[in-house]
Amino acid sequence: MIDIVFLLLIYFIVTQKDEISEAHLAVNLPAPGAPQQQTDNKPQLLELEVHPGQLLLQGRALDDSMVFDTLRSLGKGDPDLTVMVKVSVAARANDLVKALDFCQGAKLTKLNVVTLR
Amino acid sequence: MRKSSAASLDTPITQMIDIVFLLIIFFVVTAAVDKDVVDETIGLAQARYSAAVETNDPRMVVLNLRKDGELNIAMQPLTLNQLQQLLIALRTQAGSSLPLLLRCDGEVQFRHIDRVMQVAASTGLYRVRISAEVQD
Repeated sequence: MIDIVFLLLIYFIVTQKDEISEAHLAVNLPAPGAPQQQTDNKPQLLELEVHPGQLLLQGRALDDSMVFDTLRSLGKGDPDLTVMVKVSVAARANDLVKALDFCQGAKLTKLNVVTLR
Repeated sequence: MRKSSAASLDTPITQMIDIVFLLIIFFVVTAAVDKDVVDETIGLAQARYSAAVETNDPRMVVLNLRKDGELNIAMQPLTLNQLQQLLIALRTQAGSSLPLLLRCDGEVQFRHIDRVMQVAASTGLYRVRISAEVQD
């Protein structure tokens, strides 16, 4: 009996997995062949470029804290602001997630991801 | 004295059967949980500001993308063509609102993510989410 109990204990210890809490960052994909709408009242658009180890906001290279602070202040002013996240093919998933995470933290939820080629 | 030591050597069958039944129940329950196969080799990127997900859409298709760009679903490797065929079939069954979850390694290059996203978009599936580990 003790043998079985020990076997059970060992089994539980070996198969135990640490629970990882995950966040799911939603992105909008560009529809293939979708026509560009030409409207007079263009929506507010913000460009966030993601390069390996670097983020560019509206074409300006800023450090991470500056990017987040700017996004947060913009998000407070206009939560419907659309962010165009342009990602370099050489960037890592870490860089992309950082950019998306900053947008989520700044309450900016309209995120479009496009590829920089 | 001899009598009592002989009696204590009897195998406790009842308790043993209890444990065996517990084991069987345990294996049955964990076998059902095994449907959510997670690729343990993937080290997710860290998210500082995003909230952890409490409940998952049961229809969600989980795609695992490893550091070297290898793609798999429930540990079954597949090519982009195979992925496309699969997503077309799933979209036909479940519609375009079918959510996709991309569990990509933090070190994987975006070119690999982009290929998967393009395949998803080409099949008409636009609800894509990227998984990240929430920092405490």
